Amino acid sequence: MMPTAHRRLLFFFLVILSAASIIVAAAAGSVSLDWDQWTNALLHPASEFGELVWRLRIPRATAAWTVGALLSLSGCLMQVLLRNPLADPYILGVSGGASFATLLGMTVGVSASLLPPLAWAGALVSILIVFSLARGEGPWSRTRLLLTGVVTASGWAALISLLLTLSPDGSLRGMLFWLIGDLSYSQLPSWAFATLIFIFLICLGMARSLNVLAMGETTARLLGEPTRKVLWLVYLLASILTATAVSIAGNIGFVGLIVPHLMRLIVGSDHRILLPSAALFGGFFLVFSDTLARTLLAPRQLPVGVVTALIGVPLFLLLLNRAKVKQ
Amino acid sequence: MTVLGCKQLDVHIGSIDVATKLSMELAPGEFWGLLGPNGIGKTTLLKCLAGLLNPVSGQVFLESRDINELPRKLVARHVGMLQQYTVYVFDSSVIQTALTGRHPHLAYWEREGPDDLQKARDALKAVELDAFSGRSVTGLSGGEARRLAFAALLVQDPEIMLLDEPTNHLDLRHQVQIMGMIRERIRRGGFAAIAALHDINLAARYCSHILMLLGNGDWIAGHREDMLNEVNLEKLYGCPVEMIQGKHGARFHPAEV
Repeated sequence: MMPTAHRRLLFFFLVILSAASIIVAAAAGSVSLDWDQWTNALLHPASEFGELVWRLRIPRATAAWTVGALLSLSGCLMQVLLRNPLADPYILGVSGGASFATLLGMTVGVSASLLPPLAWAGALVSILIVFSLARGEGPWSRTRLLLTGVVTASGWAALISLLLTLSPDGSLRGMLFWLIGDLSYSQLPSWAFATLIFIFLICLGMARSLNVLAMGETTARLLGEPTRKVLWLVYLLASILTATAVSIAGNIGFVGLIVPHLMRLIVGSDHRILLPSAALFGGFFLVFSDTLARTLLAPRQLPVGVVTALIGVPLFLLLLNRAKVKQ
Repeated sequence: MTVLGCKQLDVHIGSIDVATKLSMELAPGEFWGLLGPNGIGKTTLLKCLAGLLNPVSGQVFLESRDINELPRKLVARHVGMLQQYTVYVFDSSVIQTALTGRHPHLAYWEREGPDDLQKARDALKAVELDAFSGRSVTGLSGGEARRLAFAALLVQDPEIMLLDEPTNHLDLRHQVQIMGMIRERIRRGGFAAIAALHDINLAARYCSHILMLLGNGDWIAGHREDMLNEVNLEKLYGCPVEMIQGKHGARFHPAEV
């Protein structure tokens, strides 16, 4: 149990971290702004730098923040759903469906603004396939869900490889960026932010149930949870979060696995603290990674998925090692 | 006062008959011992009584209503079960795990209050884990994990306790301590329990009633004094049993042949 004072301090710190990351993201880039230029740009959206900050950087940073929060929240839910700390938002094939639909769209050459809804539609198809096949009769079966999801995901992966081999060389680069996860063209759609807030509030309300579910289905039922219903709800919520994230930014890896895990190591497993911390830290982490992706090799831009992995992997291994020493 | 019972209950595990046409009641004040050899279906029967499994036929009732038709949350306020194993996948602290017992008593958004916290502290004290409250559950020994699971059940505070081998992994002192606590709760009134046990002498010392699962769906049930004797126990375990009259009543041990 974390004392209330610690909890407030932690949330305060994480909010500051998120805000700071967005401020830095707005100032840094291939054209980096000093303090005066930056404040000027903020005050005068019509100026040259104002356009840059308000039209490009802030929308991109807020999109990054939202995607990071969506993925981290989804990761937390998937880990409880599959009762496995190694589960990530993509494990049950949601992103596979979204990827296939998007790449298909790119191959046929639909306009970029149609890609997010297309990705969402692909994700929805995948969610419905897994949901209807894994549901079946009888009690909740995690194994059945996991197998159905993983096999569906491999099915999508095969279709994606097929698309990649058949596509003209010119579109391959764009596709590859999308598959690795890229925020270059991302704007924050307000519905994505609304989805995040809405699902976050539902999850926060059922956070104590998630604590109990993490202890196993039987324990959860004995403590009064109608597990079958609740777990399907968790599946749907996690899938919607993933679908929303993927439709904005493609398959950004590691955020949804590492952030929940990292926060578990720091704040413990009480979802009432874990969910908000993971969402806030995930948002920060992706804004930070994306800023690096834009600046490291500026003016060239890296897909953010490469950066999240490059930062995430060593950070994760380090923390895991420290946790082991502490025990 | 709540009564849990079953009527004409048929319980199977696959093709194995656990119990056929079982009718019984856990009336307030009764402490039942559930005896039977390995694999006979004691756990399955307990799960059925907890409403976790659907019986093949017949009914488990809580206060004359079918337990499978009641909301789980309502059931969990009256019926609690200590499972045979507890596996922790995610790390958590001892006190937080004990507090999960309050889950069925709290509303959707509600947080545990000072009363709940006090209940958790009292329960940890009762099982001598109060010094461990900040510790991680993954670092507990088998016996400590067992006592923590029992503490969580005390925090849940159900009128009816279903206990699957409550004394597993426990040393002698803690076995007696936990069995004593259950008996005390029952004696204070309004409570009942059934415990699957392998130790006939714990059953002889603490239980008021005995249910024996004999295999092939056969069962016998009754007051302890009528149930625990050499004939029944030999039939139950397929092993010669000798009764010794001790200071506090009959005790049993496997006879030398």
